[in-house]
Amino acid sequence: MSTVIDLIGLELAPYTYSVDQVKIKEFAEAIGDLNPIYFDEAVARQEGYDGIPIPLTFLQVIDMWGGYSFMEKCEILHLNPVKILHGEQGYKFLKPIYARDILTVTGKVADVKIKEGSTGAMNLITLEFEYQNQTGEIVAISTNVTIERH
Amino acid sequence: MLKYYEDADVDSPFPALTKDPISRVQLVKYAGASGDFNPLHTVEEVGEEAGSGIIAHGMLIMGMASQGVTSWIERKNIESIRVRFQKMTYPGEQIHVIGKVLKKEENNLIIGEVKAVNETGEVKVSGVFEARLPSKEMEG
Repeated sequence: MSTVIDLIGLELAPYTYSVDQVKIKEFAEAIGDLNPIYFDEAVARQEGYDGIPIPLTFLQVIDMWGGYSFMEKCEILHLNPVKILHGEQGYKFLKPIYARDILTVTGKVADVKIKEGSTGAMNLITLEFEYQNQTGEIVAISTNVTIERH
Repeated sequence: MLKYYEDADVDSPFPALTKDPISRVQLVKYAGASGDFNPLHTVEEVGEEAGSGIIAHGMLIMGMASQGVTSWIERKNIESIRVRFQKMTYPGEQIHVIGKVLKKEENNLIIGEVKAVNETGEVKVSGVFEARLPSKEMEG
């Protein structure tokens, strides 16, 4: 029988998605972050950006809309949707990302750990994603730890 | 706004950012904006099945924490952010984002701490960020 540990190294099929200015606005507004650099390109340029930059957590949009939906992800990783929690999330930015960039994302299961917690055993599944822009530069790396309670 | 490396003081707190209380409508908006349609965040029955009731997206709270960070330091100077989701956040709760400079390192890098807490100080999300700030003389 396969176990959750066998997921280590599993590569997710890559996906490509464009960074859309309207989506940046929608995302910033949903958070309630009304920083004008996300809404007005002229302001962003004045502040030293080469376009409308993405909010720090915007890459989630690329992953959810361009990649796998919540349910698809559960299926690929054999996760029980009502037993999982988002444990940790990290973003490393290597180059600026602006509206109109086109990002190609490759992801893999970087690590799986089974831990005995005070409330029972759980699986810790670490996914790593690399974001490459249209000129082939790696612009960001994200790390996501999902907790699945047994 | 902390603009220059020289002006960063270890341990000195950044001004707290106070958010509006989280509404169910905000969770619906965030689900649509982010594409995270885990029904735990929007569907009552699923919340009940999970035993928690409806909870906010952890990433919404990280987004608020990030808003705090980019209200302290310009977006373009932030090189990384990493958080741990500590406690569930429920509709009606109000998030305050607090933080401080933890360390100053070489090459104009600063390490900062950020926390999203509720009205009673319960930590929902805690993490660290890295920012590279210009020096005053570099600007000329």
